[in-house]
Amino acid sequence: MTTKTNTISFVLDGRLVELSFAGSSTLTPTTTVLNFLRSLPHHRGVKEGCAEGDCGACTVALGELGERGEMKYRAFDSCLLFLPMLHGKQLITVENLRAPSGELHPVQRAMVDEHGSQCGFCTPGIMMTLFALYKSGGKPSRMDIADALAGNLCRCTGYRPILDAAEKVCHGDGQDHFVGTEANIAAMLKSISRASISVSTRGQRYDQPSTLEECLALLNEAPGAIVINGASDIALRVTKKFEPLSHIIDCSRIKELEVVRDDGKVLSIGAGIRLTDVMKIVRQDFPALHGMLEVFGAQQIRNTATLGGNIGTASPIGDTLPVVIAYGGSIVLQSSKGKRTVSADSFVTGYRKTERRPEELITAIELPRPSPKSHIHAYKISKRRDLDISTLSGTFRLDLDDAGTISDVLLVYGGMADRTRRATSAEKFLKGQLWSRAVVEEAQRHIDNDFAPISDVRGSAEFRRIAARNLLLKFWFETIDRG
Amino acid sequence: MTKHIPHESAELHVSGEALYVDDISASPDLLVGRVVYSPHARARIISFDLTEAKQVPGVAAILSARDIPGHNQMGPVVKDEPCLASEEVTFVGQAIFLIAAETDAQCRAAEKKIKISFEPLEPILTLDDAMARNNLLGPPRTMSRGDADSALQKSVHVIEGELRTGAAEHWYLETQSSLSIPGEGEEMMLYSSSQNPSETQALVAEVLGVQKKDVVVEVRRMGGGFGGKETQGNHVACWSALLAHATRRPVKIRLFRDDDMIMTGKRHRFLVRYKVGFDDNGKLEALKVELNSDAGAATDLSFAIMERAMLHCDNAYVVPHMHVVARVWKTNLPSNTAFRGFGGPQAIATMEHIIDRIARTLHRDPAEIRQKNFYGLTNNNVTHYGQRVEENRLHTMFEQLVKSSDYAERRRAIRAFNASNEFFKKGIALTPVKFGISFTTTFLNQAGALVNIYNDGTVLVNHGGTEMGQGLHTKIRQIAARELGVSLDRIRVNATNTSKVPNTSPTAASTGTDVNGMAVRNAIGTLKERIAESISSMFNEEKKSPTTNAVDIRFERDEIFDSKHPARRLAFADAMRMMVMRQVSLSATGYYRTPGIGWDKIKGHGTPFRYFAFGMAVSEVLVDVLTGAVTLLRTDILHDAGDSVNPAIDIGQIEGGYIQGVGWCTTEEIKWDAAGNLMTHSPDTYKIPTSKDIPLDFRVSLLKNATNPNAIHGSKTVAEPPLMLGISTWLAIKDAISAVTDHNVEPEFSLPATNEVVLLSIEKLKCHTATKASPHTIA
Repeated sequence: MTTKTNTISFVLDGRLVELSFAGSSTLTPTTTVLNFLRSLPHHRGVKEGCAEGDCGACTVALGELGERGEMKYRAFDSCLLFLPMLHGKQLITVENLRAPSGELHPVQRAMVDEHGSQCGFCTPGIMMTLFALYKSGGKPSRMDIADALAGNLCRCTGYRPILDAAEKVCHGDGQDHFVGTEANIAAMLKSISRASISVSTRGQRYDQPSTLEECLALLNEAPGAIVINGASDIALRVTKKFEPLSHIIDCSRIKELEVVRDDGKVLSIGAGIRLTDVMKIVRQDFPALHGMLEVFGAQQIRNTATLGGNIGTASPIGDTLPVVIAYGGSIVLQSSKGKRTVSADSFVTGYRKTERRPEELITAIELPRPSPKSHIHAYKISKRRDLDISTLSGTFRLDLDDAGTISDVLLVYGGMADRTRRATSAEKFLKGQLWSRAVVEEAQRHIDNDFAPISDVRGSAEFRRIAARNLLLKFWFETIDRG
Repeated sequence: MTKHIPHESAELHVSGEALYVDDISASPDLLVGRVVYSPHARARIISFDLTEAKQVPGVAAILSARDIPGHNQMGPVVKDEPCLASEEVTFVGQAIFLIAAETDAQCRAAEKKIKISFEPLEPILTLDDAMARNNLLGPPRTMSRGDADSALQKSVHVIEGELRTGAAEHWYLETQSSLSIPGEGEEMMLYSSSQNPSETQALVAEVLGVQKKDVVVEVRRMGGGFGGKETQGNHVACWSALLAHATRRPVKIRLFRDDDMIMTGKRHRFLVRYKVGFDDNGKLEALKVELNSDAGAATDLSFAIMERAMLHCDNAYVVPHMHVVARVWKTNLPSNTAFRGFGGPQAIATMEHIIDRIARTLHRDPAEIRQKNFYGLTNNNVTHYGQRVEENRLHTMFEQLVKSSDYAERRRAIRAFNASNEFFKKGIALTPVKFGISFTTTFLNQAGALVNIYNDGTVLVNHGGTEMGQGLHTKIRQIAARELGVSLDRIRVNATNTSKVPNTSPTAASTGTDVNGMAVRNAIGTLKERIAESISSMFNEEKKSPTTNAVDIRFERDEIFDSKHPARRLAFADAMRMMVMRQVSLSATGYYRTPGIGWDKIKGHGTPFRYFAFGMAVSEVLVDVLTGAVTLLRTDILHDAGDSVNPAIDIGQIEGGYIQGVGWCTTEEIKWDAAGNLMTHSPDTYKIPTSKDIPLDFRVSLLKNATNPNAIHGSKTVAEPPLMLGISTWLAIKDAISAVTDHNVEPEFSLPATNEVVLLSIEKLKCHTATKASPHTIA
């Protein structure tokens, strides 16, 4: 397939839109969907609350073709979406919710009836989250609803009426005026070229390859390019720091990165799978990872962020790497020259530095299935439970022999050093000991010696030290047989 | 007619059709404005050069203090806030230059080209530092009753201590915004996100060097205010107006979230020291309180906020001997400002903290100590500033809430849970709020309205209050419909506009509906008199007997009729058409001033409040002893909204206020670094509650049979008071922490109780237990 240059296609307001960057004096490939919409005369319902994916006021829904040609709708923070990410998708805004007759959409009606808006500024974003929830079918529990809404801050209502509205209206059938036009929209989306895209405007280049091969070739040519998938981290360099990113390679359309392989021993998760989908894949057999993902950002972020991206950023407070290490996972790296696998434990080499060579791409994360006897628990400590970044985190793995002594133990911490780090002296001390409170209390002193945490905006060194120690005791408490 | 009607803009909200300042379609001439602010907490400006910056393509103007045509001043009470810093900067975030350009990117490019040099000076960044250097903003104030010192000497029990309460960011979803459009000559039209359009108008006129008649400010709605736009909405308005004046083009400024958080003031941090005396039963005998607040770099409303704190140190309790000293301190931080509660939360948290300590000292249930000290119904009901607590609902509410929340049984269950759980502790607390309603700056208690009836029978209501989500316009619409006896769909509440109703007070102090509702009622009263006069003569012209008297004319169900002769009636719309034909004016103003209040600020004595609002909450929490994480298990609230004008809106205000209080008490933490830079400058690090942080079980009800004789239609304001119910959550957390030592040791505690504060407090208790210190030591 030949690469399409400087144009993207998507559906907006029920029409196929072809957007040309070449002809525009204002649009760049890193123009956000939020800013694009607000530049249009009839799409100012979408609001900017923070420009960093932390408030949800800019939430829009994207309709995408599912595997069976059906439409699937998800909520996204439009402040974190670059325009080319719309290619091949339907962009749905709050202006699209009313039926052509002018009648309110069921989620809008419920919100009015339940008194779910006060100042109204967060409301359009909330409507889009509820729209996606409504269209996902099923009858969500109160907790599911609260989870779906955790990415939408409201300062007026205290949320109760919004939860009530959602509970009242989401009853499974997803009936609305979108149903009638779905086949038509799906046909429009199918008509959009699947070819790779390359946009070059005023010193910026944005490549969106459609195959892994093309992507690796691009990386080979331009090893300094910034690789993104959901861009929930990189986008902030544009929206908060106003950096003109010179070259971006967006791998969000590469199908090879969305492959799941499971040979019964090792589960291989494509690096480009959205965390929302990763959660479904790991729910059963990797509950500690599932648990961590439950408190990873909020739904809008999980709908865009990927495992490859989160590990690739190598943040010392990244949520998933400690868990992947505890599962004994590995990172699969690929370049046009070949493929190699690096243990997750040795993947990060320094502050935001990794084993990935500039021409390589993270293509998968491999998780060996743990023995049913292994205990693996993950803990995240943050000021607020949802939509927050770790002050510290701990993921622990424990294997006990039949006599109750520790045959193997891994204590992996985030937020305690310049990178994800294991409490090596505590691990060493614990091996071969009985898993008892006295031993754990002794091990807590070793944890103190393993780390010299810093004080920062998220917490003091003292808090981190105490919490790091306590997490081990918590792990002990949760793993002892209290039968 | 049901009172549970939705917010008047609800359909516009849910459809994204509601317009906020940034959504207004302006002409293609529109310029974007940007504020360049100080990177230093305190520094002298030595020199600057704008030459290169002005050459950036698209830049229309760059202004400094020298370019201000009027006064370089935007202090609302004391003239100590320059609009643009000229010689010295006094906080990080203080405006120095204004840029207008075609795009935001051009503004930012120009900003980078501005050359400025500073001589940094040593700043004062903490309350402790300000106090050590005696950097008072103004003279201390005192308020007293009886002789606290000698009463304390006689008390069997005396405890003393201090409490620190944190700053908080309003986090209105819509950041500060203003659009200024120059008209002909001196005219300037502003669309602002302001709780105080009249003051915005005054300050814009002042910086432009024009008169108020030349400036019109309109506020359709705000995307949240919470006090943050009572004075500080004026700033962006002044800045956008200066740029519009300089360029003769419309200029819009919408602060970027981080800039908004860095530049604007917060809730005042307080450091409170107290000494309290009480008897063996926990009856309060004497209290000495020293209130210290961090005003930031300028006065803003700091003295009024401190005054309200002084007036709320008692919360709901009789203190026979009381002495309050208040000091407002100046620091090199953005000037702190109004925030829902206005000094009340800090004072009430202090009093509730004190009661909690008394209970722990005496090994009694804090709820019992509270009840024992409530203001009496017939005696012991005068506050320390001399106002009688009338219509006291504390006792009734306590009885009802203790019962409906199953307080006693849950207290027992919690004790049992805590006895058998080492790593999780539960806590529960009941706290009341008694909140004085009226501006303590007495002259502000006034309102105006302008009601126009058109000859098609529709009505446009103008009043001085602003809509920030609280449902004021919805209630005003309901009040107008009821007074005029017409259906709601005939009535529109207009955007608040200074050319319709002049000289208005801010929409603040929880008075919005009370005063504006009355002004609207008075305007409608005037219209009805005129109409009744004309209609009765019209009926009489038909020579019917007996004659119709104007006093018998009724306005009900979209009809106007003679109550004595009900056959004589007209449809409302027909009648209005006739009124115009009969040359009757269908436009009237209304005015209201709150009666019965009087306050001697010097003596600290009088009746500053029209009435008191009451609320009460019981919150139960689960604390993870190993991580400091808090789960809010259940909250029961009983609130007094009088004969609510709109129960759905009032419950929304109660729930929202409570959750905002929970945020202030738990996860919302403001941190500055050692150079005075705000570290928590975005929602990445400043955490307001999400949908997952509300109580798992949340029960809110309104007190029944609670007519309020002192406000419109028997209602009572809701607005600010419920925020202070969040304090129940804070003290429930303290109760849970305290369970670590079986309530024998007073935990170290401050506000907000973040997971860090909780964990460090628990750690100290554990060390305390380990060293086996005396059980009654007070930390």
